[in-house]
Amino acid sequence: MKRIWNVARLQVVNRWTILWIPLMILGFIWLVNVALWWILSSSLATEDFADASSGMQWSGASFYIFVYMLVIAAQAMTMTFPYALGLSVTRREYYLGSLIAFVLLALTYGLLMTGLSFLERATNGWGFGGTMFSAVYFGQGPFLERLFVFAVAFLFFFIVGTFGGTIYMRWRTNGMLTAGAALIIVALAAVAVITLSESWPRVGEWFVASGPTGVVAWMLVPTALFSLAGYAALSRATPKS
Amino acid sequence: MTATLTQTDAVVSVGGLTKRFGSFTAVDDVSFSVQPNTINGLLGRNGAGKTTIMQILTGQDFPTAGDVRVFGEAPAENPRVLSNISFIKESQRYPDDFQPRHVFESAPWFFENWDGDLAARLVEDFRLPVKRRIKKLSRGQLSAVGVIVGLAARAPLTFFDEPYLGLDAVARQLFYDRLLEDYAEHPRTVILSTHLIDEVANLLEHVIVLDKGRIIIDEDAERLRGSATTVVGTRSAVDAFAEGREVIARESVGGLASVTVTGLDDASRRQAAQTGLELSTVSLQQLIVRKTNAPDTEFENPS
Repeated sequence: MKRIWNVARLQVVNRWTILWIPLMILGFIWLVNVALWWILSSSLATEDFADASSGMQWSGASFYIFVYMLVIAAQAMTMTFPYALGLSVTRREYYLGSLIAFVLLALTYGLLMTGLSFLERATNGWGFGGTMFSAVYFGQGPFLERLFVFAVAFLFFFIVGTFGGTIYMRWRTNGMLTAGAALIIVALAAVAVITLSESWPRVGEWFVASGPTGVVAWMLVPTALFSLAGYAALSRATPKS
Repeated sequence: MTATLTQTDAVVSVGGLTKRFGSFTAVDDVSFSVQPNTINGLLGRNGAGKTTIMQILTGQDFPTAGDVRVFGEAPAENPRVLSNISFIKESQRYPDDFQPRHVFESAPWFFENWDGDLAARLVEDFRLPVKRRIKKLSRGQLSAVGVIVGLAARAPLTFFDEPYLGLDAVARQLFYDRLLEDYAEHPRTVILSTHLIDEVANLLEHVIVLDKGRIIIDEDAERLRGSATTVVGTRSAVDAFAEGREVIARESVGGLASVTVTGLDDASRRQAAQTGLELSTVSLQQLIVRKTNAPDTEFENPS
């Protein structure tokens, strides 16, 4: 157990990669957005600006940090894993330790984003009516609800990144191509089924009815599946360099 | 030459190990054992299978066939066994943006016997910049990281996979000295793969030589060194002496010739001295080169 916990520590030993750089980039994105909101508010008439402001609920500005976490997880499998093997860690210890690290990181970053989203509404969109952390995808519900949405969303991206990384480590490029092709085929099949049965309106309704909390709760299912699949892939992966 | 699998006190016991990558057989029916608290050399040409065997012994790769036991158990996915092993291979990769200080911060978490003072001293000895990204280190500095981890971990079974790559002669000598020093104070089993055979010849107690995935020599170093002798003299005398003996190599220049023969007893030595021939020891490197190249290096002057 101690070794598994030490693997979790290994994932965060480089503070720059796991903390400072993503925060700095997120901060920069926020600044750019604030500048844009200021430009808009200075140049538009009030009703036009109110219109623009309400459109910002669709802002994907904070999407960046989720993708960053996906990359962190993929690198944990492709670069930190061979290093950990060199430190004589078993694959099981490594995977479990990494999962623990990702859950804790998802909670930590979830807390941060939740805090920022409350701050955003409290300052009325950072004084410019802007939206970045309280967009529709995250909702504007109570504290625990928002934290749940952010944390599970982060976890989903961590696990997807992990899964991609393990596929690469086990089956290299051919594995990645096959997995990508399989995913595309599944998506195509879904699109075909939904379109031919004219169910898109129902899909839309489901998203609206479930709200961010419902959608994200359902995301726990693929998250769990991918994490099991990732372990299966890693269990026979080798660090062939 | 092959060892049996039933030596239960051996640290490493390998029987019939085979590893295939597709149609390529990297390790072919290899059997050997390693005794505790010895320094062993795992030698062979590039591509002979040394790193593959070490990866299987440390659970980083899986055998296609055969039995592998380290500390009495199969090493793959076995934390009991693996926590006593350190193996930083020659092509070891480190996480992106890692610096040596991250390595020296995280490695102690996994090695119980880690000696931080030794690590600090080695960092100074090797002049390793700990705050520079590993990506930016020279090949020698990268090797130094691996060497420092291997030495400071004090793992009961320590592997060194071509640890000297890129190290300058001073650094290499430093490595050999520190290894011997620490080995004397804290005995452990060391398995070392290298191409620079003569440099480590004095360190090695046991030698295993691989060629094309098969073991061709598995011998105590002293016995191996003593197993062959070079005989030098005039062609006729040398040829007469070599009659009926096992000749590993033969060279000649003009009227002089030298042969390397195996198994000279005292009577033969006296006979050689009487016929005016000179005897000299064969270096370990020469012996291994000769045995690995056997059919190819018979240089004969046709005159």
